[in-house]
Amino acid sequence: MKFLLLILKNVRRNAVRSALTAVGTMVLVFVVTLVWSILDFLDKVTAEKTDNLKAIVTERWQIPSQMPFSYADTLSEGAARHPKDLRPLDSMTWQFYGGTIDPAKKTIENILFAFAMEPEKVGSMLDDLELTTLSPAKADDLRRSIARLKEKRNGIIVGREKLAQIHKRLGDRFTLTGLNYKDIDLEFEVVGVFPDGRYDKSAVMNRDYLNASLDAYPRSHAGQKHPLADKTLNLVWLRVPDMQAFNTVQEQISQSPLYTSPAVKCETASSGIATFLEAYRDLIWGMRWLLAPAILLTLSLVIANAISISVRERRLEFAVLRVLGFRPLQILVLVVGEAVLLGAGSGLFSTVATYTLINQVMGGVNFPIAFFGAFFIPLQAIWWGLAIGLLTALAGSVVPAFTASAIRVTEAFSKVA
Amino acid sequence: MKTAQTILLAAADSQTAVWIAGAAALILLACLLFGVKVPLRYLVRNLTVRWRTTLMTALAFVLVISLLTVMMAFVNGMYRLTQASGQPGNVMVLADGATDESFSNLVAPDMADIENQPGILRENGRPLCSRETYLVVTQPIENPIPGRPQRRFLQLRGLDDSALAGRVHGLELYPQGRWISEAGVREPAPNDAALAGRERAAQPLIEAVLGEGVAHVLAADKKRQSKSAPSPERLDVGDTFSLGDRRWIVVGVLKSAGSTFDSEIWAKRGMIGPMFGKDTYSSLVLRTAGPTEARRLKEFFNSQYKKAAVLAQVETDYFDNLSGTNRQFLFAIGFVTVVMAVGGVMGVMNTMFAAVSNRVKDIGVLRLMGYSRSQIMLAFLLESLLIAMAGGALGCALGSLVDGWTATSIVSGAAGGGKFVVLRLSVDLQTLLLGFVLALAMGVLGGLIPAFTAVRLKPLEALR
Repeated sequence: MKFLLLILKNVRRNAVRSALTAVGTMVLVFVVTLVWSILDFLDKVTAEKTDNLKAIVTERWQIPSQMPFSYADTLSEGAARHPKDLRPLDSMTWQFYGGTIDPAKKTIENILFAFAMEPEKVGSMLDDLELTTLSPAKADDLRRSIARLKEKRNGIIVGREKLAQIHKRLGDRFTLTGLNYKDIDLEFEVVGVFPDGRYDKSAVMNRDYLNASLDAYPRSHAGQKHPLADKTLNLVWLRVPDMQAFNTVQEQISQSPLYTSPAVKCETASSGIATFLEAYRDLIWGMRWLLAPAILLTLSLVIANAISISVRERRLEFAVLRVLGFRPLQILVLVVGEAVLLGAGSGLFSTVATYTLINQVMGGVNFPIAFFGAFFIPLQAIWWGLAIGLLTALAGSVVPAFTASAIRVTEAFSKVA
Repeated sequence: MKTAQTILLAAADSQTAVWIAGAAALILLACLLFGVKVPLRYLVRNLTVRWRTTLMTALAFVLVISLLTVMMAFVNGMYRLTQASGQPGNVMVLADGATDESFSNLVAPDMADIENQPGILRENGRPLCSRETYLVVTQPIENPIPGRPQRRFLQLRGLDDSALAGRVHGLELYPQGRWISEAGVREPAPNDAALAGRERAAQPLIEAVLGEGVAHVLAADKKRQSKSAPSPERLDVGDTFSLGDRRWIVVGVLKSAGSTFDSEIWAKRGMIGPMFGKDTYSSLVLRTAGPTEARRLKEFFNSQYKKAAVLAQVETDYFDNLSGTNRQFLFAIGFVTVVMAVGGVMGVMNTMFAAVSNRVKDIGVLRLMGYSRSQIMLAFLLESLLIAMAGGALGCALGSLVDGWTATSIVSGAAGGGKFVVLRLSVDLQTLLLGFVLALAMGVLGGLIPAFTAVRLKPLEALR
């Protein structure tokens, strides 16, 4: 305990140096936490799960995938044709509808893209929105929004940030001029808001509304079908219990004669996302192996610099400690302890602050990788700060501490003399 | 947050600002070098005496500046790509409402009418127009690396006349290559060394002209296939690859480095349209006499032309709009750099504070010798700047090693769409200057407060 107090005293002795080192550590840990949070999220979404996994069915060759809506029912059943065939645990279909509130001046702010899907699947199939995993208050709120979306065919659930961008509130009505579905302009009523987080910029509409509008198109266009009428189904999501079930469903789909024009492919969600992320391979590599290590190295240098200055200034003090009976190991621990206390403390403080700032205040951090709206700091990142601070402090202080412990008493005193 | 973003983007985006900052930094350096009466040798000696501290501080600068240089090289590469991809005299016509080529659908009768409008250059009586269908398709990778994705996305451009498209886009082929034939396919020759027996007997090969970048990407599959045999760095004329259940044969490679066409595969539209289920055109690219004529033609299509609902853009504007991702990256880089620089500044401050406290007696002597407070302050500032200069210069040198490296990415605009690209990292003079200015700024910020502390010392007290 006395030893710890001595370490604390030493940290407080040169307050300016300790403060500068702490601030340096905090800002650098902040950047590492941001970088690692993005990489952690990408690693998680591309890691193959072994159970309760999701599969996606898309057009085999082309992106964006555009399949006829007639594929929806059978694909949702995993192309099961016989009673013995395996059926997915759950499924959801996605059709993308994009439109603008101001067709005369399209901007990123007034453009809204919505997933047209079955309302009841919002709470069972959308990642991070499963009603069973949300807090009771959020789950109740989402349940009410889903019920309203089922009830009102022209309803739409929108993320908080997107809602603010289009200057609308719950209950407001607005019209979107179709962008991808030309001449399909739809009027919406905001019936719900997504819980804060991943869906802040997203929107979900009732798929029946889009399909009914497409069905009605020929009536106002001399009997002509909409040009995209046979290409409205973009994705089908399937939930399967395990990898074996996935393989069975995948085979059922690939061998089915129903999906020939266009052909389809079934892959795990993680594999699909990994293919998309392949385009960012070099950028991700750079973040993982250049940016993060360089910051960690800078951090080690800042700490090493501060500790070695401190050791040089206290040569006489260490000599006195040796005379008083301190063993070299104890002096080494004393110096390393100072660095570790400073590093780990500021690292921990930094990640707690980062977590609060990014998740609670800023609502995530935007980074232009793939289709992910915003990235959030995971809860375990709080320990990253502690670990980063501790390890970089250790790395930075080992050499100065060793120098301090190896000090020769006679040499130190002779210089004074 | 938005204000910070605007300031950072404006600062990094503005060439003039970087040059002004560079000039200001050089003037400051010159003033310090000539204004400081304390011998430079004394300052350098102080740095070399405590070389470990100096080295560690300078190393922190090296890391920050070299990272900035690498990150800026990446964004520069993206900007160069989007800037070099369009012809200022070309007008690109998409379907009205389409925010990108991927979402555009134009039909043949409309194209014929558009092509015959006045203002479009003609060659031997034919309008210089390229009808194009742009597709992004999935290709199963032939020899995937274990643990890596099994598929990749490839960009296909279906053309009615590839030679004409080459002229419209200002692209040429490498020697030995030729443009795609009228049929768009080629029967495998019986003695075709590149093909296995099974392939010779199968359907005709689809002719393809490859961008240089994608030719490198596809060659990597072959390299993994035959590790023992020497493989070319890129696919070349006569090489084959698989895509969409068919074998394709390379008939030409585009001199396309530095443009988005570098990552594209060109083929006959009549072949790939039905094959991948796109029966419409994505765009029509029209060649005019020059930039002014192109703007005039664009205006005509957007405001006066009523026969078809189209959206015309000058080609350079279209590619400029694909810089949305670049700007986001630029902001991210600015943010990371500023935060890292703060860390670096803390390191310099530590070093300089230690320098001041170690030399309290020196300061006293210098004051008694007649050096003024401001001269002593400038001396400490210069010392900090010398570390910054050394670290900054080394950081720039280290960072510039990535110049010319290639990387994959996506360029896209605000309204979706975009292109998968192979880009070349580019370290230009402006980037180096930016790195050097940032290093000097860090040096000034890190040295200023300790220098003020030094001048507040009273000579006699310092000597006591």
